[in-house]
Amino acid sequence: MSDERTNHDLEQSLRAALRPADPGADFPAGVLARLAAEPARTLRPARSLATASWLTFALAASVVLGLFIAHERQVRRTEQGLEARRQLIQALRVTGEKLELASRAVNTTEHSTDSLHSGA
Amino acid sequence: MSGEQAWTEGTLLERAIAGDTAAFAALVRRHQRSVYSLALRMLADRFQAEDLAQEVFLQLFRSIGSVESEAHLAFWLRRVTVNRAIDRLRREPPVTQAALAEADALAAEPVHVDPILERRLRALLRELAPAARAVVLLRYQEDLDPTEIARTLKMSRNTVKSHLQRSLATLRERLGEEDPDGRSWATGERTLT
Repeated sequence: MSDERTNHDLEQSLRAALRPADPGADFPAGVLARLAAEPARTLRPARSLATASWLTFALAASVVLGLFIAHERQVRRTEQGLEARRQLIQALRVTGEKLELASRAVNTTEHSTDSLHSGA
Repeated sequence: MSGEQAWTEGTLLERAIAGDTAAFAALVRRHQRSVYSLALRMLADRFQAEDLAQEVFLQLFRSIGSVESEAHLAFWLRRVTVNRAIDRLRREPPVTQAALAEADALAAEPVHVDPILERRLRALLRELAPAARAVVLLRYQEDLDPTEIARTLKMSRNTVKSHLQRSLATLRERLGEEDPDGRSWATGERTLT
C-alpha cells in the first residue's frame, strides 16, 4: 500500500470514527432548564449589536453636545467679561472727563477771586 | 412541519436575539450534534461532554447579541466549545478507562466500517495533546479546512498544518505498531504484505 493510499485511508477512517454523535432528544430541554434556573438578570439575552451601536452613538453624541455647550458658555462668559471691561473703561473715562471739567471750573473760579482781591 | 422548523437559521437567529426562547431552542437543536460531538471527543466522557455542551449554549444565550450571522454562529460555537474543553482538560484530571469505554459505546451511531479500528482511532486521538486533538477534530469531524481551523483556534495556518501532519504520522505509527502481522488498519482486511 503506498503512503498516499495509506494517508487517504487513514483520513477516511478518521472521518468515519469521528462522525457526529447525538446528545439525545432531551438535550435542548436540559439547556432551557439550566437557563430557567439561572438568576433573572442573566436570563435576558445580550443587547443586539444594533442596539449597542445606537447606545454608543447616543453616548458619543451626548459627549459632543456637552462639550459644545460648555464651549458656548465659556465664549459667552468671555464676551460678558469683555463687555464689562469696556463699560468700566468707558465709565472711568467719563468720570475722568467730569473731574477734569470740575477741576478746571474750580481753578477758573479761584483765579477770578484772586484777581478781584489783588485789584482791590 | 412546525413554524420554527420552516424558519431559516437567519430568522431563528434574529428571533433569538430579540429574546424568543423557542427560536433559541431551535438553534440549540440545529447545532447540538456538532457541539456535543466536539465536547465528547475532546473530553472522552459523555456526562462531562453534555455538561460542557450545555454550558456552551448558556454562554451563547448570554452573548447572542454579538453573533453577526449564521456562519459566525457555527464558528462561535466551535471556538467556544474547543476552548472550554481545553480549559476543562487543564483543570480536571483525566477520565477513567470505564468512562472512556462508556463514551465509546455511546459515541456514535451504528458503525459502517471496522468498529475495532474506529474505537482504536478514537482511543489514540485521546492520547494527542488537547490542541492537536482539537485540530484533528475540526478537520475530520467538522470538515473545516486549515484556514478555518486556524481562525477558530487562533493559530497560524502553518501551525495547523504541522499539527495535522504530526498527528496523522503519530496515528499511523501507533496503528502500525499495534498491528505487526500485516492487518490493514484502514480497511479492516488482512493483507499478505
